[in-house]
Amino acid sequence: MTDQRAQADTLTYTRVFSAPRELVFRCMIEPEHLTHFWGPKGVSAPLEHIKVDARPGGVFETVMVDDAGGGRYPTRAVYVEVAEPERLVWTETHSGMTMTATFVDLGDARTEVHIRQTNVPEAFHNPQAQAGFATSLDRFAAYVGNLSNESG
Amino acid sequence: MTAIDDRLDATFTALADPTRRAIVARLAQGDATVNELAGPFAMTLPGISKHLKVLERCGLISRTRRAQFRPCHLEREALDAAVDWIEESRRTWTERFDKLDEHLRELHNERFPTTGEQAHD
Repeated sequence: MTDQRAQADTLTYTRVFSAPRELVFRCMIEPEHLTHFWGPKGVSAPLEHIKVDARPGGVFETVMVDDAGGGRYPTRAVYVEVAEPERLVWTETHSGMTMTATFVDLGDARTEVHIRQTNVPEAFHNPQAQAGFATSLDRFAAYVGNLSNESG
Repeated sequence: MTAIDDRLDATFTALADPTRRAIVARLAQGDATVNELAGPFAMTLPGISKHLKVLERCGLISRTRRAQFRPCHLEREALDAAVDWIEESRRTWTERFDKLDEHLRELHNERFPTTGEQAHD
């Protein structure tokens, strides 16, 4: 499957980190690392609630805590593939979405991480759909723009 | 992190079809009758009607009941819900990666307290 096809099929997020691939991969499966970044802005992922059994069929559980309101949101996923340090695949049990994280060694202690989100709502699977929305909805156009500019 | 509720699921399923997406894109520019919608798609009126019914059922469009014109109207809120879901998903990863970037920086600084200095064990 080429990159182009991967992007046409799924939602993709890419980021380059200034760290060696082995370390970036460990960050994604070790609770001591995950607790520092797994919750998005304004949301914590307390260490004591992160459960990782990084092997196919193993669980990946967290409790997200809203810093402001204190709301707690448990999440649960099951690992599908753990191929250290290249690839990590897990399926969220609440949404049915599958995430594939690919770790590319760029040399020079830099690592590119691709996240592919599949089983996402069908509407956004192909470029026609994106083009259709881009011509009519400013918000969606902005979204598609951000997505393609994000690889830096 | 957001569970997809049934309504949103139905919306995305409805939008899975390219013709229906094109109809939604057309209606985003303003209301249109079935005849106006059928024009660009080289489809029969019953064919278009079938698509409109799917869009109507999930609440993406509404139609007035008067006469045969029955202009179709895009329900922005239903569409926004779908777009919001995508945006939130993207935001989650962006913010998560921002934090990971910072975490990696801190790990690096712990290991190499002074910039330019070699590791010392």
